[in-house]
Amino acid sequence: MSETPVKELTYNQAFAELDSILKLMQSDQCDIDRLAALTRRATALIAECRARLTATDEELKGILAQLEN
Amino acid sequence: MPDQSISLLELTRRIAYLVQAPETQNVWVTAELQDVNARGGHCYMELLQKDEAGRQVARIRGCCWANIYGPLARRFYQATGQQFASGLKVMLKVSASMHPVFGLSLVVLEVNPEYTLGDLVRRRMEIINRLQKEGVLEMNRQLQWPKVVQRIAVISAKGAAGYGDFLNQLYHNPMRLRFHTELFQATMQGTSAPASIIDALSRIADRQEEFDGVVIIRGGGATSDLQAYEDYDLAVAVAQFPLPIAIGIGHERDITVLDWVANTRLKTPTAVAEWLISRNENVLNALGVAGNKILQLVNDRLAGNKQQLAQAEALLPVAARGTLDRRNQRLRQAIASLAGLPAAKIQPALARLDAFPQRIADAIAARITFARGQINAQEHILKVLSPAATLARGYSITRIDGHAVSSVQAVPPGSILEITLSDGTISATSRK
Repeated sequence: MSETPVKELTYNQAFAELDSILKLMQSDQCDIDRLAALTRRATALIAECRARLTATDEELKGILAQLEN
Repeated sequence: MPDQSISLLELTRRIAYLVQAPETQNVWVTAELQDVNARGGHCYMELLQKDEAGRQVARIRGCCWANIYGPLARRFYQATGQQFASGLKVMLKVSASMHPVFGLSLVVLEVNPEYTLGDLVRRRMEIINRLQKEGVLEMNRQLQWPKVVQRIAVISAKGAAGYGDFLNQLYHNPMRLRFHTELFQATMQGTSAPASIIDALSRIADRQEEFDGVVIIRGGGATSDLQAYEDYDLAVAVAQFPLPIAIGIGHERDITVLDWVANTRLKTPTAVAEWLISRNENVLNALGVAGNKILQLVNDRLAGNKQQLAQAEALLPVAARGTLDRRNQRLRQAIASLAGLPAAKIQPALARLDAFPQRIADAIAARITFARGQINAQEHILKVLSPAATLARGYSITRIDGHAVSSVQAVPPGSILEITLSDGTISATSRK
């Protein structure tokens, strides 16, 4: 599996890769030796997707401040 | 010049008397509403009739008193999904009335919402049929929203209550979902609304790549006409727009053409915001689900492997023992099954065994008889061919010095010959 840095993926690409990792892990073809690497990659993908979906505290404050004006 | 006259009030009273004829009372009339204006519970309006070219051919003031208007407006809205507002065609029961100060007007007593509904539907269907014929009706509805919708172009009037509601709802979402909105201002009320909204759409289209979708909102409680939205040009612009469009223009039912052409229809600006939030919430939740699934899969896989290993470990010492036991058992079973063989099966076998020696003896005897026969035959042949038999038939054997002679050449004169006959040997001497 190509290991493109998660920041360079589009959301859809990231989610599609996450999905394919899940499918692989659910299948019997998943080698236990690869489990750690797959889990690490999946975790990175989830974290990136989550970060793109949600705003940090500072961002939120900024947005809400604009809204007040 | 006459010096007699009546007061103006008197004249208006006479007019009022004439107007109060049965022909002008409780009459059902169709008209178009304009300048509808509710004040203090009463409703004031202009009733119009236009000709084919749109010119006014009749016009008269109308009013509906509060005790009638309250229930009438509610019933009208329930039946048509429309506020009792300008631009609609209506069928009203009216009575003409003359007031000394306010003049002639029609007092509205009842409304037939079916007429308005029919007219609205007919006008809308004309537009929809045209869009269908042109093949554009479904175009925006067939677009797919991206999985994550974050960059939103908003078409609204600036400072409108609906716009504020939308932003508040969107940015105060509890899961802190990230959104980017940009306002494209447009006039959302009145006859200039369609052109203004079309203009906003074209400004968005110029920067299409920067947005995931478009939201058209208009709201607040204002009871204004939606007739402006029953517009062919606006419908075409929405239907053919390259990004999916969600509308929340503040009404309850499928009532404007936009509802037929826009990708997504929601009641209010707040509902549009909620819809956008719930979409992204679902995506966020799906991430959580995926994370949990991975955790569980890893745990299951590791646990499974550990268990497998432990089982193998526990199995090892008993495996050899088990094999031996199993073999032993199989042997015992074989023995047991042998012992259990029924006598019936064994008896014939034993009988066959008992018969064997006799059969062997018979076979040998037969063989000997056969061999003896053969020997006898050979003996007979031998007897026939033997020298004794030949001698008996009158032949003799002549020998010199023990050697048989078969030619006179081998017998020089004076040789001593031994001649064997069938019953003995005699000596003789050759003379020549």
